[in-house]
Parts: sequence; C-alpha cells; structure tokens
Amino acid sequence: MPSRRGIALVGARALAGMVVVAVAVVAVGAAAVVPWPTLEHTPTSLLVSPVPTEQQRVCPGPLLNLAEDSSQAQDATSVGPTDAVFSAHPAASGTDWIRPSGTELSAPDNARSDVDGAPQLLRVPAQAGAVTAPLVAGSQSQTATGESLSGLAVAACAEATGDAWLVGGSTDVGQTTLVLLSNPGTVLATVDLTVYGEAGLVNAPGSTGILVQPNSQRIVSLAGLAPNLRSPVVHVTSQGGQVAASLQQSIVRGIAANGVDLLAPVAPAATSQIIAGVLVTTQGAAAADESGGHSEDMPTARIFVPGEDAATVQVGVASEDGRPVGSSLQVEIQPGVPTDVPLPGLAPGVYSLELTADQPIVAAAQVFSVGTAGKDFAWFGSSGSIADDFLVAVAPGPAPALHLVNTADEDASYTATPETGLPVTVSVPGGGSASLPLEASGVYLVSGGKSTVASVGYSDAGLLASFTVGQAGPLAMPLLVYPR
Amino acid sequence: MHARVTAILVARNGAKHLERTLEALTRQTRQPDVVITVDCGSSDTTAALLAAYGPTHFISADSDLSFGEAVAAAVRGTAPPESDGEMLWLLAQDSAPEPGALAALLGELEVAPSVAVAGPKVMDWHAGDYIHEFGQSMTHGGATVTMVESELDQGQHDGMSDVLAVSAGGMLVRHTVWELLDGFDPALPSVDDSLDFCVRVRMAGYRVSVVAPARIASAGDGVAGPSGSSRGRARRKRLRAVRAAQLHRRMVYSRRGMILVHWLGLVPLALMRSVGQLLQKEPGAILGEFSAAFGAAFSGIRVSNARRRFAATRTVGWGSISSLRVSSAEVRRRHALKREATLTGARGERPEIQFFSGGGAWTVIAAAVAGLAILGPLLGARTLTGGGLLPLSGTPAELWAGFGYGWRDIGLGFVGAADPFAAILAILGSLTFWSPSFALVLLYFLALPIAALGAWLATSRLSHHGSIRAVAAALWILSPTFLSALAAGRPAAILVHLLLPWLFFAGYGAARSWSASASAALLFAATVACVPSLAPALLVVWLVAVLASGRTVMRFIGIPLPALALAAPLIWDQGLRGNWIGLLADPGAPVPSAGVSIWQLLLGFPTGELGGWTPLLEMLGLPGVHASVLVPVLLVPLAILAVLSLFMPGSRGATFAFVTVLLGLGTAVASTHLFLSSVGSQSVSVWPGAGLSLAWLGLVGAVVFALRSMRRFSVAPAVSAVIALLIVTAPLVAALPLGTSVVREGTNRTQPAFVSAEARTDDRVGTLQITPQPDGGILATIVRGDGATLDDQSTLNSTDTTLSAKEKELATLAGNLASRSGLDAASGLSDFGIRFVLLRPAAVVPMGPGAEAPASAAALETTTRTTTALDGNAALIPVGDTAFGRLWRHEADGTPGSVGEIPWQAGGAIGLAALLVAAIVIGATVLLSIPTGAGPEAVRQANRDAIRQIAKAGARTKKADARELRRAGKGKKPVVPAAPAEPAASAEPAASAEPAAPAGPVASAGPVASAGPAAPAEPTTPAESTTRVEDADDAQ
Repeated sequence: MPSRRGIALVGARALAGMVVVAVAVVAVGAAAVVPWPTLEHTPTSLLVSPVPTEQQRVCPGPLLNLAEDSSQAQDATSVGPTDAVFSAHPAASGTDWIRPSGTELSAPDNARSDVDGAPQLLRVPAQAGAVTAPLVAGSQSQTATGESLSGLAVAACAEATGDAWLVGGSTDVGQTTLVLLSNPGTVLATVDLTVYGEAGLVNAPGSTGILVQPNSQRIVSLAGLAPNLRSPVVHVTSQGGQVAASLQQSIVRGIAANGVDLLAPVAPAATSQIIAGVLVTTQGAAAADESGGHSEDMPTARIFVPGEDAATVQVGVASEDGRPVGSSLQVEIQPGVPTDVPLPGLAPGVYSLELTADQPIVAAAQVFSVGTAGKDFAWFGSSGSIADDFLVAVAPGPAPALHLVNTADEDASYTATPETGLPVTVSVPGGGSASLPLEASGVYLVSGGKSTVASVGYSDAGLLASFTVGQAGPLAMPLLVYPR
Repeated sequence: MHARVTAILVARNGAKHLERTLEALTRQTRQPDVVITVDCGSSDTTAALLAAYGPTHFISADSDLSFGEAVAAAVRGTAPPESDGEMLWLLAQDSAPEPGALAALLGELEVAPSVAVAGPKVMDWHAGDYIHEFGQSMTHGGATVTMVESELDQGQHDGMSDVLAVSAGGMLVRHTVWELLDGFDPALPSVDDSLDFCVRVRMAGYRVSVVAPARIASAGDGVAGPSGSSRGRARRKRLRAVRAAQLHRRMVYSRRGMILVHWLGLVPLALMRSVGQLLQKEPGAILGEFSAAFGAAFSGIRVSNARRRFAATRTVGWGSISSLRVSSAEVRRRHALKREATLTGARGERPEIQFFSGGGAWTVIAAAVAGLAILGPLLGARTLTGGGLLPLSGTPAELWAGFGYGWRDIGLGFVGAADPFAAILAILGSLTFWSPSFALVLLYFLALPIAALGAWLATSRLSHHGSIRAVAAALWILSPTFLSALAAGRPAAILVHLLLPWLFFAGYGAARSWSASASAALLFAATVACVPSLAPALLVVWLVAVLASGRTVMRFIGIPLPALALAAPLIWDQGLRGNWIGLLADPGAPVPSAGVSIWQLLLGFPTGELGGWTPLLEMLGLPGVHASVLVPVLLVPLAILAVLSLFMPGSRGATFAFVTVLLGLGTAVASTHLFLSSVGSQSVSVWPGAGLSLAWLGLVGAVVFALRSMRRFSVAPAVSAVIALLIVTAPLVAALPLGTSVVREGTNRTQPAFVSAEARTDDRVGTLQITPQPDGGILATIVRGDGATLDDQSTLNSTDTTLSAKEKELATLAGNLASRSGLDAASGLSDFGIRFVLLRPAAVVPMGPGAEAPASAAALETTTRTTTALDGNAALIPVGDTAFGRLWRHEADGTPGSVGEIPWQAGGAIGLAALLVAAIVIGATVLLSIPTGAGPEAVRQANRDAIRQIAKAGARTKKADARELRRAGKGKKPVVPAAPAEPAASAEPAASAEPAAPAGPVASAGPVASAGPAAPAEPTTPAESTTRVEDADDAQ
C-alpha cells in the first residue's frame, strides 16, 4: 500500500539522485575539459664549468705502409713526414695567440719513426686565472706518391677520448686499413676494438685488451682482426687512459695505388647526424651510375645502427647553394650491420648530408676523386655542432676551404680571423651551408656561429681530403649538475 | 522543648522542578515553621513561583553563590539559635519531599540528641521507586563513596542508620551545630560540601544518620550537590569539581607533616591519573584533572582556613569514624563490579561482525591465495626493489632514529624534519625487527588479504550480508589503482589502500565510542603520513563529519590531531621556506611516472595504457577490439550499480559515497598537475593513485548501498560487476609475468658489493653516485655507508629549490669529475669523505607501466664523457663494472669516517620539543584507542539514564510499546529481511527481566538500555546496547 508519504519519499530520492548525478557529471567534465594549471617544481641544478686544464691534441702521425712480407704483416713503416699546423687562442677573443708546445709520442710499431717522425702531441697549459679552456686546433697533411700509397691525407689533431666510432675503412682485396691508437696521457690505456661487418659483430680474437702505453702510439691492422670486410665500422673504447683513434685506409687496384685517407672518429650515435662539406669532384661517378651498374667510385654513405632496433634513416642531401639535390633517400638499416648507401646523381659540388633516423646512428660518407694526379678518395665523417667560436688550423694542401652548416634557425655571419692577415666573412642562412676559402698553413678563429657543423676540405685533380672541426674540448664543456 | 524547623530552599533557574517541590512542601504533614527561599539570580519564573508560595523570607542573591553560601546567607538572616531544638532543613529547587519526610527526619533528631544531622533517602525524580543516592562515606584513602546509588528500592537498605555523611539536598541539621561548624566549607562549592560538613560534625562528637522513611525526590539539577547532567560541559565540570574536592579534603584532613608530601605529589599524580582517564575513555577529564591539581597546589589560604576551622571544632580523633568508612573489602568488591561493568562496555564496543560465520575468514583466505598467486615470482624474496622500493635501515634503532626533527641523512645531510612516513616505516620495520627490509616483502604478500579484510570489515558497517561484504572485498582488492601501486612499487600508496577501509571502519564508529574515535585519529595520521596529498580530501570529509556530528562533535574534532602532531616539524620547516604546497609531496623515494590522461584517471588507472590493455591487445593483435572501448564497457556494470544506489533506499549514504568519489577523483586529477619534487632533471608529480583509492572507496560504498537495496536481485549484478572488473584488471593482475611490473626481488643492497664491504668497516664511507640525466646533465649525490634507504628519504630534500654552499661545492666537484678538468679532485674527494665514485646507468624517462624510453643520446654521451673523465683521473682507481654501474675508488689520506659523521643531537631543542609533543599526542591517542570499555563515570551515568528511561517507558501503555517495537523492526527490514523478530526477541526478555534485576549498577546497565525506545536499526543485543548507553552519555 504505497502511502502518500512513500511516494513523496521516492520522489525526493529520485530528485536528489538526479542532482547528485548532475553534480558528478559536471565535476568530472570540468576535471577533464578545463585546462587546469600545472605547478611544476623546477629541478634544482648548477651549470658547472670545469676548471680549465692542460689541453692536449694528438695528430695521427705519418702515413704507414704495412710490410710486404705477410709474415710480418703487423710491422708498419712510415712513408714520409707530415706537415702540421697548429695554434691556440684563449676563448676570450682579442687576446694574443698561444703557441702550443709540440712533442712527439713514441711509435714502437713504426720502424721508421725516427726518420719520418711520430704522432705529434700538442699541449697548451691552463692559462693562469682563466675560467674557460683555450681553443686549440691542429691538423696535419701528407701527400703520398708511392706505389702502394698515393693521395692526399689530412687529419685534425684530436683529443683523446674513451669512446670513439670509426666509420670507414675496408679489408677487402686491395684495401688496407690500419687503426692508429695514440695515448697522449700518463695512464696506460686498455683499448677494446669492436668491429662490425656485413654479418654484424665480428668475433675478432685479439681485438680486446690492446694495451697502449702512455705517450705512445699503437698501430693495429684491421685485416688482422677482421679480414674481408667491405664496410666495417670500428667502435673504439678505452679504459684507464684515453686514446686518440684514427683509421688509415688505402686502396690499391691492380698495381696502382688508388688513394689514401685518414679518418677521424665521427660524432657519437644520435638520431640526427650532419656531414658538412662533402666534396664531389668527379662527374664520372654520376655517369657510372646512369650506366646502370654499381660504380665502385660512386659516393656512398656508410650508416650504422649501434642499438637493438632497425632504424629508418632519411638521408637528405643539400648542395651548398641551398637547393636540395634529387629526392632524399629513405633507407631501412638493420642494427649491428654497417650499410653503404649509394648517393647517386651528385654533380660535382659541395654538399651537406643530413641523416635523420628513429634510432641513434653513426654515419660517414666516402667520395672518390679521379684526376690528372691519379685517383684519391676521402671520408667525410659526421660531426657535432659547435655552439661557440672555434679555431681552425689549415694544414698545407690544395685549395683548402672551410665548409659551414648553420644548424641554428637564425642566420649567422661567420668571421674567420687568421693569425696574420685580414678576416674573411660569410653569411649563412639558418639551416643553410656555405664555404669559405682559406689560406693553407693558416690558423683561423671562426666566430659568429651559434650552432655550426664545420669541416675543412681539400681538393685538386685526383686529390681529395677533408677533416671535421670538432667541438673544442667536448670533455670540458660546461655540465648541468643536479644535486638531488 | 519544641522543635523549630527553618526550611531553606535554594533555587536557581529551577522553574521546571520548583513547582513539584513547592507543592510537596505544602503537603508536608509537619510543616516547617519558617520557610526561607533563596533565589540565586534566576532569569526564569523561579522568583515568581517562590513569591507565590509565600515564604517567610524571600532572599534574592547573586547567581554565583554556591549552595552552602546561599544557605549561609539565609541563616544569617535568622535569629541565632537558642536551643538544640532549632533545625535547619536544607532544600534545593529539585528536592521534592514526600509528605512525611520532614516529620521522619525531625523524629530522628528529636529522639537522639547526639544526632546532629539527619539525611533522607534521595529518590530518583522520575522513577520514584529507584534510589538516587542514600548515605555517603569515604574510603580509607579519602575518596568519596555513595553508599547506595541507582538501585531499585525494595526496602533493602532501610536498616541503615548511622552513616558518615548524607547528601546536602534534604538534610536536616541542628542550627547550633551549623553555627558551631560555620556551615559548609566555601572551598567546596558543589561536590563533597555535605560530606566534609558531616565529617566535621562527626569529628565534633555528633552523629549523622540517614532516615529511610524520609524520602525526597531529586532531579540532580546541580543546585545542591553536583549536576547530574550528562552533557559534556557539565560533566567535565563535575569531574573537575570531584577531583578538586577530593584534593582539597586531602590537604585539609592530612596531618601537618604530610601536607608537603601531598603537595609535591599533586602534579605527578595528575599525570598518572590522566593516563588512567585516557584508558577509561574520559579524555575530557584530563584538563579538569590538571586544573584541579594546580588549583589545590595554589590554594594556600583556603586550605589553611579550612584546616583552622576543622581544628577549632574537632574533639575526637580519626579513629572514631574509621568504622564508618567503607572497608577495603567493600572497596574491592565495588571495584570488581566496576570492572565488570566496563568490560561489558568493552564488549559492547565490538559491533556484531560475525567474521567467521559471515564468511569473512573465507574471503581473507581467498585473497591471501590470490595474493600468493599473483606475486608468485617474488616468493622467497628477502627484499624487493624497483619503483619506489628501497631497503630499510638495518635495525629498528636506526629506523626510529630517523623519526622526528633531526639529521636527515640524505645526500650531504641537513637538519630538518622527517616525513611522518618515516614513523610508519619505523613501525613496519620494527615488526620484522630481524630484517626491517623484509617488512616490505611482507607488505606485498599480505597486501591482498589485509585489503580484503579491511574492506570486508568496513562493509560490515553497512551490510549484514556476508555475500555483499565479500563482493565489496573483491571489488576493493581488484581496484586498478591498488594493483597499479603494487606493480609500480609504491609502498605508500599500497599502505593507503590498506588503511582507508579501516579509517572508514573506525570513523564510522567514532560517534559512538572514544576508542573508535582515537583509532580513527591514528589511522588518519597514518594515511596522511603515507600520502599527504590525501589530506585535503580527508579533511573535507572530516569537516562534514564534524558539522554533522552534533553532540558527539568532541569525538570528531580531535581526529586530525595526531596527524598534525606528527607533521608539525615538517609543516614548520616547509613554512619557513614558504613552500606550503611542498607538504603534499609524496614521501619516500621520488619516482617519475609517465603522464596519464584525465580519462584514464577517471576510469581508475593511475598509470597509462589502461592498466596494460593497450599493449596487451597490440600484442595479441585482435582485430576490431580497442582497449579504449573494451575497458570502459567492462566498467559499465560497476558504474550503473553506483548510480542506481542514488535512487534506492539508503540514498543518503550513497550520496555521501558519491561525494567521496568526487573528492578522490579531484585529488587524483590535481595530483597529476602537481609536480612538487624532482629527481635529477625529471620533475616528479604526486602519485594520483592515492586519490583514486579514495574514489574507489566511495565507489565500492555506493555499490554496497545499491546491492543492499536490491536484496535478492543483487546476486547477478554483483557477480557480473566483479567478473567484468576482473577482466579489466587482468593485465595488472598478471603484471609480474607480463613484465609490466617494475618490482623485482632485491639484493638488500643499493650499492656495489665492494662498497658494502667497505661500509662494514666504515659505516660513513662516502660514495659519489653520478647518474647521467636524459637532458645530458648529471645527478650527483653522496651516499653514505650502505646506500640509500627508504626511511632516509625526505620530501624536504626532494622539494628543495635552493642550493647550499656545500651543495654547490659538491656539484662543482662532481661536474669537474665528469669532465676533463684541472681541478684537484683528490682534495675535494677527501673533503667530502668520498671513497668511491659510482657511475650509474643513465636515467630514463618512464613511458608507461613497466615501459621506459631508451636512454637519450645526450645521456649516453654524458655517460661516455664521464667514464672517460673518471678513467683519466689520477685520483681515482678503476674498480670495474658492477651491477649498479661502473665503480672507481679513491684512496683517501684522512682517517676513515672522519667526514660525514652524523652530528650528535642535530635536532637540538626543536627536535626534543617536537618529539615530546608527538609522543604525548600519539601516546594519549593510543591509550584512548585501547578498547577498555566504558569508564566508571559513563557506567554510572548509563545507570541513571537507564532508570529514567524505565520511568518514561513505564508511563506508556504496553500497546504503545508493542507498536514501537514493530516500527523498530520494520525500520531495519530492508537490511535484514529475516530480522524483525530479532529485536523484539532480544528486547522483550530484557524489559521483562528489568524489575527483577539485582539492584546493582552493573547488572542493570545492559538490559535496561536495551529496552530503550530509541533503538537504531541495528540488531539489539545486550552487549551492544551498553555502547549505546555510553554514547548517549559520555558525549563530550
């Protein structure tokens, strides 16, 4: 018997229930729709600029020839001295140039080091009272004209590191690749070489635990570790002391030496890599491609994925005048397997390569040159961007030019001030690239950039070489420290 | 010699009772010769009533006069006594004498000249056949004892005559003696005034006797003698007055030599008695206890006056009255009765739970088995690691040392307040004292059964059906936020999920018992200590409870006090920094979590990926099934049930449940916007799961309301809701095998074994831990000894936005160590006592449950750079790669352990004060929470009220009674359909047993109360009813 009171109760309950549901819906809607402000605790940090220390740079030393006798394949002999140019400048502009002291490392693996010299160690002591390290630059060049070695090889004098990627070389027939390990420090360095080839990681006995005595250079033939690799990538890690690693590759076709180059470590693995100043001098490369076959002389980019997952890499090629060349490539790179990607259709000119991937990669490009002087090739490694002023030491060589890629968004006007002489300037739009011809044997302080990828290229008929300009002392960059 | 009686009637705002008193006075067979009425500043019609009666004298006095002073004022107006035949009859507004009362009293005095004071049998005002009180005495210790109190009068005490004292209302005293003794002691305004007077009468050589035929009804208005009101304030005042009177009498009666001893003992005794008051659930009496003690300590002139007056009239020794004192055997007997009564009270506090018969045990066992099953991979673990799980300090002593205000041994260390969570960890760690870290393993394995038990018991407050309770327990342990907390390694969030049902359980009972109120306060403190971000929502609930509590407001108002006492030092520290919001930061190790969308939060998932369904469906590759559709659809039954509850009986409770849901969701949503702490470069938001736990509590509550109202139709929806929820949470349940759980078996170390070995000889050995951050920076912290522990974590540290000079120095050192640098690292390392440098794997950004982004390129670059720099550092010797990262060693020149010592008593005075306050507040709450049953005062009150209820009930006809019972039965019908017969059954025999009940206060307590007409819709059992009686009475 539903009484009037009962009906009223049910009605009131229904009404109250509706109100509660409505309130709940409005509240939930408000929570979801209204962009509530966020209270963010900014992590406390301190930007620590390391106390400047003595700056050291090691040049790779003279080009080396392996002994003809296969029983002594590890014995290398140098084929002549190098020309080196180096200088230093305090980070604060306007002050005087500093003359680094140059000493030579011992090179026990080189039988002719007493004649041709050994890797040079440049040292700039910490300036009294300076809060930032001075800029130091050095580079060496050597033109070989021998039977087994010919061509131009230029290299920057580099800082020793504990971790380096050498992207380049080959141990295929007719190719010789040496790994040069220089330990400029006072601590014994134990170096592990991890070699990757077409079949992935190469199990190479003797590649680990290579002892590099303080103040000396070791020379390791890559063929001894991993023979018959067309496109190896070597990961150099050292414990204890650090080493400056570089790779010397030389090609002999038939009985003719087809070039030599020294290549320095590329930028560490990252999802974006930029290779500045890729010099294409030979039209023939393009022609060879049109004929259909794969030309051994075609420019290629060697890409390697150190991680676990395959990477999809977008290879963008831009010429120095800013126009993109052809269609940008997209390639799928398997992890652990170095892959040479041909770059067809490049007319002679200067290009910059931008590689973007969904996984960290390391990369370098190889370009061949044919000319009256013979054949040569050069490796163009990727390099990190430089946030500030930098120093360029131009070793003697044919037609040196500074290639700049301005990776900042805004335009930059670069000024290269030589040690003696008049400054030269060039304006580079944001994201664009440009070249600046330099005097051989000069040292330039380049200022004006905010984020720059730079390299120095040399080219002549049948001579090609390049070296990247690295960040001044990456190990001494200011570091953000979070205390909690 | 003709007797002459002067009746003195004192009234204060007593119109309510005065009428009956005046009428009774006119109907005396022996009319008093003189009637003096004293109106103590009444504001009602008292004056008019008194005037209408036509007294011989009418005196208007101030309202603040005590009974003794009012009588004295009246006596001053009379002529001095000329003979022993002149009597004073002291009456109050609520002393209604039966017609023959005065005649009987007078007869006693006329017959025996040695009797100076005669007292009547004081009956209850409403229940005329119950003795209110009859005769007073003292124990040998001096405590007041009422000889007969609240008993059915069957003439069993009519044989009493000589007593030590009688009560003031209705006493007939010889005027000469009154004059001789100078009346009542003004230092005893209400309590013991007549007792003291009678003692002095006795010591002056006279006798005091009770006259059973003289019966006077008393209502306990508080004019003569203390007020009998059960209202909180009156009751506290009475307790204070009782104690003050006892202390005053002790000082007056004691030998001169003992005064100093008594005086010195006042405050210590008050302290000890306070503990007793807490155990007896009389927290309101503590203030009175102390004020009485201090009052007695600083009342020199009153005590000396009283001593002088006493000495002046004293003619006989104490020995003469010792036979009139209550013997120690009698005291023991009374104590035994009292104990029995309080035990009844204790039993009464336990609600009818039927844990075993209701299936609670099976539910808990099932949950335990489920817990073992889903945590199987962790079986045999001695510690856990992952997420926010860190080991605890090695011994309980270290755990407790980290509690309160003092040295925070994290990083460089600083002086500051510990998180209240440290106290929780200390308690947990002490449970497994042999290996405190094992407490967390235990927490994991017991989490499900404890959650089930809590939910089951909490539901027992709402429903009597074992099945509904079991459903609620299942819904509670299958809560996505609870399972997420288990998978994400969030010990605080797990604890909160375990505590919330208990908090509800205790809070629900807080209105009815002090013990539950104190338990709720402790649980509130524990909950807020685990997750401070729940504090705002819980405080809103508390405020609503306070506003709705009415008379029992005192039981609610103190609930946040222990939490406040625990957090006070932290509040102080954060207040000094002006970082109030930092108080809400999650305690424990800060763990960054992946952002979660609002919609997933509203569905109950504190971490993204819909509890793991998104990746699971991707893995299974089922076409056409989307997690974002599947999961909400499966949650629909639960939502429908919750909304239905609003439209069914019990919708008021359901509304409250909905408010809880909204508060919880609000907390969860707000949590995701509060990035209060940071670790390295990553800001850490408040864990939203705790808010979701609160919301889930409301949701389960609403579902319980709905199921309760659906009665037998509830089975299908309940089962389908549970099954659907089980499917929803399947990926979370299987988090360990699926690998979405970050919890792993730990090694009880957070440092490489090499460091641990060193820490065994030098427990302050410093390790600089460097962790590359996703943005390329480094996190550099010093860890002393064995490594970071959970109890060492501090929100003061993780929410700090400033850098001390020392921290800058350390950061500079770390920055230089991680770079090629010219800094002399050796001296820096020695300065900080760093013997090891550990380069940890790069920090990663969390992407979802158990998923992390790979280490960023910048972090890897920093790792390389740091490795290179440390390798090349001449001050460091490489040790090698360990499970925790790459380790370097620094050979220190200094003596080991000389740096980084914990300063002795770092907390200083603030630390001590904070510890004392926390200890007192928590200690008092713990004492109060121990269910010792109702206090003696409460039992006494219960008896009185029960008698009154009998009187009222007796006035009703039996028919009305029956109707009442039927209604009570109907009221609870929706809950338990089979119950209507039950209350009637239990109430009936109780009521009928009542008149025959032995006239002891204990025996009458239970049955009397159970007949109460106001029985709520709960099964009425004798045990429970005592609680209710207590509620009604000790409300403060």
